[in-house]
Amino acid sequence: MKKIKIISLTVLLVSALFFSIAQNAEEIITKHQNAHGGAEKWESFQTMKISGKFTGFSIEKDFICIKARPAYYYSEYYLGKYPITESFNGVSGWILDYWQDIDFPRHTNKAENNALRQKSEFCTPFFNYKELGSSVELMGKENVDGVDVYVLKLSRADGFIETWFLNAETYLEYKCESPWVDFAYPVKSEVYFDDFRRFQGVVLPYYIERSFGSRNRIIEIDEIEFNVNFDEGKTQMPRSPEMEKLAFLEGKWAVNVETMSRRGNWYAVDSTNSKIAFSSTNLLEEKISYERMFPMVNSNNYSYNSNTKKYRLAVYHEFMSGLELFEGDFKDGKLVFDNCHISYGNEAEISQAFIQYTFSKITSESFILEIKGSTDKGITWTDQEKFTYTRIVD
Amino acid sequence: MKISLITTLLIVLFLILPRPLIWAQHDDLHSWTQFRGNERNGISAERDLLDIWPEQGPELIWKKEIGTSFSELLISDKRVYTITGEKVDSARGYEYAIAFDAATGNKIWKTKIDSIFIDIDGWGDGARSTPAINDDHMYCLSGFGKLKALSLIDGKEIWQVDLVIDFGIPVPRWGFSTSPLIMEDVLILELGGKDENAFGAFNPQDGKLLWKVANGQPSYCSPIIANIDGQEQMIFANDNTLFSFNSKGESLWTYSMPIRRPTATPVFIEPNKIFVSAVSATGCFIIEIKENKALETMNNSSMQNHWSSSCYHNGYIYGFNVAALQCISALDGNKKWTKRGYGKGSLIMADDKLIVLSDKGKMVLVEASPEAFVELSSFQALNGKSWTAPSFSNGKVYLRNLTQMACYQLK
Repeated sequence: MKKIKIISLTVLLVSALFFSIAQNAEEIITKHQNAHGGAEKWESFQTMKISGKFTGFSIEKDFICIKARPAYYYSEYYLGKYPITESFNGVSGWILDYWQDIDFPRHTNKAENNALRQKSEFCTPFFNYKELGSSVELMGKENVDGVDVYVLKLSRADGFIETWFLNAETYLEYKCESPWVDFAYPVKSEVYFDDFRRFQGVVLPYYIERSFGSRNRIIEIDEIEFNVNFDEGKTQMPRSPEMEKLAFLEGKWAVNVETMSRRGNWYAVDSTNSKIAFSSTNLLEEKISYERMFPMVNSNNYSYNSNTKKYRLAVYHEFMSGLELFEGDFKDGKLVFDNCHISYGNEAEISQAFIQYTFSKITSESFILEIKGSTDKGITWTDQEKFTYTRIVD
Repeated sequence: MKISLITTLLIVLFLILPRPLIWAQHDDLHSWTQFRGNERNGISAERDLLDIWPEQGPELIWKKEIGTSFSELLISDKRVYTITGEKVDSARGYEYAIAFDAATGNKIWKTKIDSIFIDIDGWGDGARSTPAINDDHMYCLSGFGKLKALSLIDGKEIWQVDLVIDFGIPVPRWGFSTSPLIMEDVLILELGGKDENAFGAFNPQDGKLLWKVANGQPSYCSPIIANIDGQEQMIFANDNTLFSFNSKGESLWTYSMPIRRPTATPVFIEPNKIFVSAVSATGCFIIEIKENKALETMNNSSMQNHWSSSCYHNGYIYGFNVAALQCISALDGNKKWTKRGYGKGSLIMADDKLIVLSDKGKMVLVEASPEAFVELSSFQALNGKSWTAPSFSNGKVYLRNLTQMACYQLK
């Protein structure tokens, strides 16, 4: 009986301590929200535009970003010598970053999306963390760099964890340790907040300094505007100018398939459908099935190689389990690919069947793909197949 | 002839007093003859600096446009020496050794030493290395690895060695960056190669190779000199090894470091300790050398120097923990204070004060005290990215970045 009493008392004490800490975390967050001007005031803002200076690699240049609820983000700035554009729609994002030797916009990875989500927040994550499925735990009170701080552990719904250090006197954020990203690699970062100012009834840090590894990035805010217009189109990933030229291929198509007879006449062998779509910023994919004596299933992948400054077409023939690579470009209004100069790094594997793909008579509603063969490495070409694509309007 | 007792004593004193480590100094107290100063520790022995600068900054002696390079400014015999770079177009140009009048900043001579090193990442073009000077010569290393000796009088070339051609060393991604060192009449350089090509010594008079030792790779770190147990030695940090050699190239000791590839120079803590730091989980460590054996006495993540080297003063290390100016204890590595806002700046010391140059050209005077961070004065001295540490001589601080150089009176 005595044991039961001791156990019950212990459970009660632990529970009381737990609820006391939970309550303290709630209290601290409420005071934190109030120190920033209050949750109600922040909720009145639907968009937020920040203009200022961004310093990376010790070079200070202009910076702008626009945030919109629930979690949109668009930003343009310079990191050293290169401009960066990045955008996020609350779920996925894209970035144009020449530092990575990719000169077209690309989708962001999970680590980058996590960083973009942090950037998309108007203030700290403590204003709507419950709605987003995050939880907060008070870890205690510490002294960091001579500043007494409350330490809060924020666990996001997707598993990312951040540690926030709130000034115990002002309840404003002093420091945050959060997962970040460095040229697409996940890293740990420390961010420091300073120069808090009141503007339109809310309080914000006008100096934000982030360190990760040997990197140091500083945002110094010049101007904040609330409830400005936000163009959601900015979150749509643009294509590179080169891939934009291939946009004529995108769509659903009715395709007439013809082959060349021994007498030199085209004759129809099948009618089929095809769908060509961007599966990524630098990849147009087509899967087409048709019959030419046997059922054929081809996967065609179109992309642009910025090193060779040429388009690439990779054709996978399901029936023959064969893969062919072609390189080409626009010439005289036609898009022409061939495999005459493709090297696989092994002379023995070089195809002896030289093939040419020519897209011609390109309009918004139709185009023709002609496939030709050569036995003299492209000096002369012989017609083989012709595919006439006509757009299907839903 | 009778020699008086006083004369005898004076002769004896002259003979037994410690000789300067470097025979470069014309005036040891009032010169800055190699990377991080005469003792390669970033500290000037001058005293009585102004505690507080006027609001608009200390007196400007001169400010001049200068070409692109990261080399520090060297000061000796009323002259300023450095390397600069001039581009003729976006991809071409030249690196020059150059001498200025210290009083006016006016050019005295200028000698072409190599094609300009173009940085592919855009950090900045031109030379990375700081020359060393002695009584007669200036020894410069270009970004592409040409080591040249020039006459201090007129800049005339005396000899040259090409690290790429003569030693087969590949040009590092960010160019040859190590700064030559003069010790006991020997010019010493990190060569950065394999096959006993890690470190080399040259006759300063004719450039003849005296010895080369060890295997390594080109780093962005420069050697220091130390006198431990009466033994003059040069200390190199290369990859993950700390090396010590005497001026004959004989290995005194090595130490396998808990960090890799530091860029900031090691710091000698008299009488027998070495501090090394890099951006890494370990951050920094101190070893104590006894009878040519190294024993680690401190290991802490509290200080992570990137390229900017730290200074030691009265038991404490002052330096940039990546982008935060910081003071830590040399005993246990515990952080005493930290101050942000200077970016990836640089610092030197004089008169118990830190002279800090922020990475955007703001010069700051800070008390060198572990008690608290105290900024005494500050003002915007240069414009733009400033990654080169200040130099100090004769009461004046000499600053440079990729476009400007300036001299301010601090005494």
